[in-house]
Amino acid sequence: MTVVSAFLVPGSPLPYLRPDNPPWRPIAEGYEAAAQRLKASDPDVVIAYSTQWIAVLDALWQTRGRVQGVHVDENWHDLGDLPFDLAVDTPLAMACVAGCRSIGVNAKSVDYDDFPIDTGTIVMSALLNKQRTPLVITANNLYHDPAATERLAKLAVDQAASQGKRVALVGIGALSGSIFRDEIDIATDKIRDAADDAWNRRMLDLMVAGAVDELRQCAPAFAQEARADMGFKHFFWLLGGLGGGFAGAKLHAYGPVYGSGAAIVELIPS
Amino acid sequence: MKQGEIIAGFLAPHPPHLVYGENPPQNEPRSEGGWEPLRWAYERARRSLERLKPDVLLVHSPHWQTQLGHHFLGVSKLSGKSVDPIFPNLFRYSFSLDVDVELAEACCREAQAAGLTAKMMRNPKFRVDYGTITTLHMMRPQWDIPVVGISANNSPYYLTTKEGLEEMDRLGKATRRAIERTGRRAVVLASNTLCHYHFHEEPAIPEDMSCEHPQSYAGYKWDMRMLDLMRSGKTREMFEILPQFIDEAFAEVKSGAFTWMFAAMGYPQIPGELHGYGTVIGTGNAVVEWNLVDRGLATAA
Ligand SMILES: [Fe+2]
Repeated sequence: MTVVSAFLVPGSPLPYLRPDNPPWRPIAEGYEAAAQRLKASDPDVVIAYSTQWIAVLDALWQTRGRVQGVHVDENWHDLGDLPFDLAVDTPLAMACVAGCRSIGVNAKSVDYDDFPIDTGTIVMSALLNKQRTPLVITANNLYHDPAATERLAKLAVDQAASQGKRVALVGIGALSGSIFRDEIDIATDKIRDAADDAWNRRMLDLMVAGAVDELRQCAPAFAQEARADMGFKHFFWLLGGLGGGFAGAKLHAYGPVYGSGAAIVELIPS
Repeated sequence: MKQGEIIAGFLAPHPPHLVYGENPPQNEPRSEGGWEPLRWAYERARRSLERLKPDVLLVHSPHWQTQLGHHFLGVSKLSGKSVDPIFPNLFRYSFSLDVDVELAEACCREAQAAGLTAKMMRNPKFRVDYGTITTLHMMRPQWDIPVVGISANNSPYYLTTKEGLEEMDRLGKATRRAIERTGRRAVVLASNTLCHYHFHEEPAIPEDMSCEHPQSYAGYKWDMRMLDLMRSGKTREMFEILPQFIDEAFAEVKSGAFTWMFAAMGYPQIPGELHGYGTVIGTGNAVVEWNLVDRGLATAA
């Protein structure tokens, strides 16, 4: 079995920068629990897709072996810096770039000093991948649909399999996307709309039940009605890497992040 | 203190390719040139800016996208290396810029007074976005005029285009009041591309101009229609069809800079001077100047 664990996690920096804020504490704690599960699954590589790393032209894969720096979030610059020091599995990332051509997708490697690493990848690396297992990280190309995103994940897992590597697969992104657009007292944060909350819970229940067909059916409406982050492509990334299905899921946490929905979900490979 | 005024506005798009084509010392990658007509358009704009002698350049950039209100750079000196996340092969630029913090704070206060959520960006490690930097470099590569950098709130995308652009209109009017109250002679820069349909592959040599042309003929015709209105000073008509232009040409002016700039200038019904038009990876880009001094709407230096 190549994929030994799989996680859906949020990329907002808020639970990372303010873990003690009561509404965000469940997400911070859920990250803790998931980090232990990831560690226990003993992966050789963490393969992650972040909705916040935006690409337009190609599929992009980070190939620089060590990426370090300090990022300041575009929105939450007042809450602190996001230092990072990431180890990348360069041979696997290079294999993904090469492999993309075989599935008809243009791909490029990213190997530059000071390349802007997105907030979601940094938060996930700090909170989920605490033991610094080497990463393969790839971008969210705005023109890729869910099906293309599934194919990219499958490709990455196949490449890992051919290198004999155990994979922890991660999709970084939010659930519902309605946010508070004016300053709030963060201690009172909640899911902005009751309808969004209902949608989030429905999708999470379906994940726990492993109801993949229903999830596929509901995803477009979820994306549209609840403004799901980037069409919920980070979920399709997980689905693609898990061979199109999973046995069920453990919900480690669910909560609000400035009105939007966030969850830490561990999908159980079938 | 003398009342401040806006002396000119420029449509000043930010394809990083233009910096790449110019090969300035601040940018790491080297090119064989490319996109000359647009770069020459910027040369003309630079000469005009030199004559205007502004105290400050204000720029609104779609590549600093914020969700919680409108943000203003608020650190007096910002420096670092800006790497374009989409074109890191073309743009890795070492920048150092001076911010007119007093004016930025005044803009922020006026925006709040106008009922907008507005916020100062005070983090000294903040990396300025490549849209802001490209526009500023193309307009003034000497970096010797202080700047005010303004984020693009995502309201035109999150709300409707109309609601979002109404916010940008209020932001522009607030910006004008701040300029007037602080006594600045200011130039406002709208960092926006027109038609935004683009090719999905780069040529092997990015500056190979045999591959450069409009991606969409319909989009090109839209750009020409808008430029015609700009050049003939039909500002009202232009803003009437702006939403349709945005929808049909996927125009980047949706992000609000263009509306913000015109609101700040008071929507003058004066002809803009087209310094040049060209495509970059298929998108339509124009450098256009509205000189309020030449038209008697502002005082000469
Ligand atoms: Fe742009």
